[in-house]
Amino acid sequence: MKKLLALALITFYEGIRNRSVFGIAIFSMFVFGLNVIVAGFFMRDIGKVTIDMNLSGLSVAGLLLVFFVVVNLMAKDIDRKTVHLVLSKPITRVEYIWGKYLGVVLFVFVSMAVLFMFSCFTVILVKGMHSDYFAQFSWTVFSLAALFVFLKIAVLGAVVVLFSTLTSNSFITLIFSISVFIVGTSVEDVLFFLRSGLAAQDVAVSKTLWIVIEVVSYLVPNLAVFDYKISAAHGLMPAWGQLGLSLGYGAVYIVVLLVVASCVFSRREFN
Amino acid sequence: MRRILILLLVLLISLVSHALVTFEMWRMRGQVRSTTVAGYVLPSKFSSVLAFGYKGLLSDFLFLKSVTFFGERHLAKKILSDGDWQYLLTSLDVVTDLDPYFEDPYVFAEANLAWEGKVEEANRILEKGRKNRNWDWRIPYYIGFNYFYFLQDYEKGAEYVMEAASRPGSHPFLSTLGARLAYYGGKSKTAVLFLRQMILETTDPGLRTRLEKRLIALERAAELEAKIELFVKEQGRKPTSIEELITAGYVDSLPPDPYGGQWVILKNGRVFSTSKFTDSR
Amino acid sequence: MLEIEFCDVSKVYNPGLFKPRVRAVSELCLDVIQGEVFGLIGPNGAGKSTTIRLLLGLLRPDVGKILYRGRTSEIRSIQGELGYLPETPYLYDHLTLEELLAFCGRVSGLSPAIVAQRGVRLMDRLAIIDARRRPLRTFSKGMLQRAGICFALLHDPSLIVLDEPMSGLDPVGRKMVFDLLTDLKQRGKTIFFCSHILSDVERLCDRIGIMNRGRLLQIVGRESFVSKGRDMLHLEVERLDELQNRTLRPFVTALDDECSSTIVSFPATDLPRVADKVQSMGVKVLGSRNERLSLEDLFMLTVKAD
Repeated sequence: MKKLLALALITFYEGIRNRSVFGIAIFSMFVFGLNVIVAGFFMRDIGKVTIDMNLSGLSVAGLLLVFFVVVNLMAKDIDRKTVHLVLSKPITRVEYIWGKYLGVVLFVFVSMAVLFMFSCFTVILVKGMHSDYFAQFSWTVFSLAALFVFLKIAVLGAVVVLFSTLTSNSFITLIFSISVFIVGTSVEDVLFFLRSGLAAQDVAVSKTLWIVIEVVSYLVPNLAVFDYKISAAHGLMPAWGQLGLSLGYGAVYIVVLLVVASCVFSRREFN
Repeated sequence: MRRILILLLVLLISLVSHALVTFEMWRMRGQVRSTTVAGYVLPSKFSSVLAFGYKGLLSDFLFLKSVTFFGERHLAKKILSDGDWQYLLTSLDVVTDLDPYFEDPYVFAEANLAWEGKVEEANRILEKGRKNRNWDWRIPYYIGFNYFYFLQDYEKGAEYVMEAASRPGSHPFLSTLGARLAYYGGKSKTAVLFLRQMILETTDPGLRTRLEKRLIALERAAELEAKIELFVKEQGRKPTSIEELITAGYVDSLPPDPYGGQWVILKNGRVFSTSKFTDSR
Repeated sequence: MLEIEFCDVSKVYNPGLFKPRVRAVSELCLDVIQGEVFGLIGPNGAGKSTTIRLLLGLLRPDVGKILYRGRTSEIRSIQGELGYLPETPYLYDHLTLEELLAFCGRVSGLSPAIVAQRGVRLMDRLAIIDARRRPLRTFSKGMLQRAGICFALLHDPSLIVLDEPMSGLDPVGRKMVFDLLTDLKQRGKTIFFCSHILSDVERLCDRIGIMNRGRLLQIVGRESFVSKGRDMLHLEVERLDELQNRTLRPFVTALDDECSSTIVSFPATDLPRVADKVQSMGVKVLGSRNERLSLEDLFMLTVKAD
């Protein structure tokens, strides 16, 4: 366990000290600052627009962190053969995977927490300027939504770890991870659209396509489950059962991905 | 030294030309936008998938787009063509599908669609708001208003206004308005029941008194209407005046109007009062 | 006691989708005795690095197995006592040297106190102590190599595996490493390394293995080259036939066929053995010639004959 934490710690340092993180932070501040101006363009639902922009900015920042920094963190080790050095120590392949992932999660959490602080600051600012239009706003739901944005990023981080074990090429890892993100975001809409279309019998779907989509819905993470942005925008507290299931789904999915990654990595050869 | 001077001269010339060209460009764009046909909005099904999890943000963006489009047309004093209206309607539809809790499009629909003659379409969009923004009294009020003001459907108008009155934070006058509309719409019984319910829920004593007074007036009017119906059934004709009910023996005496007016029978057989059921003259 | 034993190990790998498979290592049989310094030399692509990777468990042999301390083929059993230094150690850019060694210590199961103590000693010895708070990306190649050595030796391993330890070092650095290895040898550590620099190999190693094209051609003992040069004997014998050629081959360095004779080349110290063999085969000796060879010459000869 200690070895795992040691690897997690240095992975965290490597992530946090990456120059890209600075760029992503600047970009996020820009989005948060922008929302102070943009909110004024709207008539009534200023609270909603502020939350929309803040949570979307946080989400995009998280995606940038995963696709550019985390992919790099994982690929660097293998590309530059640092992994040879680490594995020459008494650390198992499984400990390596979990240690790296823990470091990634820690890095993402700290980065997003800092960004969330800035986001809260702009929310307070806009709320002060247009307090009448924040009637529906709830700090609880806003924070919960931000937490689930983090969870979504954590799931994508596990996807990146898995693909890193399958290929040494960081570009392929990137492309595949982005594809999982795209499919994961759309799968719910597509599935329910087809289901309702089939029921209304105004959409012709072949049996094979149907089976493919059903299989995909079990393989790919349904990222819509972590999306509480609209609830936060209107201060609508979701049911605890729903929140619990989202949390559980995320946790289980991460564990499964890491177990598969551990298996693949244990059999991996390094040249 | 000469090289630097030449470089600076070139820089100056390029900056000046940039300023001039940019000025011209913005002017041209203003012209282009005022003559452009309204854009195309992807239907909700596609928009929601293409939002990639940013539905709320996309709804904000699309709404802003429609508002600026509408505003620009107004600025240029242009009348909106059918195509323009179609764009606006689809846009508002998509915006409210992406985020059905978004208040601004509903307000916009009421202000700019209903008042421009597109009442049915406005109501259709407002229905979504009524269902989803179930804490918001304004939306059913808008729908009700549209029904009684534009469509002259008092019955339906009353229904919606009453719903609005039952939602939290509603303006107290809505309860009396609802009852009045119901009464105008020929639904005195409904008005009576509604008022009784409102009285039970009202904590404000001033409002309570006003509602109770209105209730008494309507109950008495309803009683008289029932007597008139009986008269018509038995006598085969409408009574000439309210007093005929007493002479014909249908009532012993006329119950007093709490607002102090005289009962009158309207042409359609409804009972009203010279007080118009209001304290102000 | 045998520290490491390669038993008939072969490794083939696929460099790409449409490229032909490469025999990286074929039928490798190699022992490393506890306490000795074993050097592996060979031209580029001989399979030295692959051998080291097989040793470290980074690759799995297709055929054969590798035994550690005669007991098990699980690398895990001796990982705690193994120190590895690759040719170009790429370490974590953004970590400081101190953080790297702290990590190294934790992963090796050392207490922070010991890590601090030994770390300072090692860093001082390798003259990088002043840079310990600087991030590794600011280190020069030589400094990185030395940092890598610290990483490899922090936990005082009993088996040290090095892949080209002197490459990229300036003469000062090379002397430092050389002294360090000598010191380790004196303390009874087992050292296994591969190198291109034959002079270092000559001075340090107890035994030298010569590899080419994935095969171990010859293992030469210290006594064969402890003197400045190396005596090579060339025996001219009557022309050997196919069978005789094959029989004699394992005992000698090279067999060159001339028109009517064969030149048999071997280290002078092997003379008794070779003479016996030649006699038992009934081959007639026509003449002989002495030659002083350095390790380099021996190396070139062996590789060319392959």
